[in-house]
Amino acid sequence: MKIEVLGTGCMKCKRLLKNVETAVKELGIEAEIKKVDDITEIMDRGVMFTPALAIDGEMKISGRVADVEELKEILKG
Amino acid sequence: MATGNELKCVTCGDTSLLTGGRKRIIFPCAGVANVGQISNAAALQLTDEGYGAATCIALLGTGDTGLKKRIADADEVVIIDGCPVTCGGKIAAAQGVNPAQHIIITELGFEKAYTRNFTEDDVETVVSAAWEGKGR
Repeated sequence: MKIEVLGTGCMKCKRLLKNVETAVKELGIEAEIKKVDDITEIMDRGVMFTPALAIDGEMKISGRVADVEELKEILKG
Repeated sequence: MATGNELKCVTCGDTSLLTGGRKRIIFPCAGVANVGQISNAAALQLTDEGYGAATCIALLGTGDTGLKKRIADADEVVIIDGCPVTCGGKIAAAQGVNPAQHIIITELGFEKAYTRNFTEDDVETVVSAAWEGKGR
């Protein structure tokens, strides 16, 4: 599983990244977590609001921070 | 600890009305001991991070009807109490408010003391606990 957190580095982006790391750890799953902070790439991906979360290329969340519980549900599919 | 001077993404800001997510009201006990002050700082940081809206527990104690309506419209209420006296939880109970999450800071390993000394890491511990749902 490839998880991408898109955001240029504000506190909300950092929190989403931390929550994702916590959710992955609590679920005990194998995942590659990547931080995408290049604004051009973020825009090219069609993201209008950050932070955003993509899983295996599919955008799941945009414009808000999800809590750990919600992220675990998303990661479980 | 949030200082209000953090960098914001150009695509970031308060997008909660546009992008959904749970609407939460956060009540810190805001006591004068270190843990009460941490509760206040954590509630404000959670607000900055888009978790919910920090609101005065004292206002809830007055039985304010406008606040009661806001609570009814919210998805969740989160209480952050500093110590086992749980003033915040008791005020909420007296007003008929059931929190979805009730964090007690001393249960996170803090010792209550009447000092103004606390660190960004202390606040981060409480903020993380809220995001992780440790008070559920």
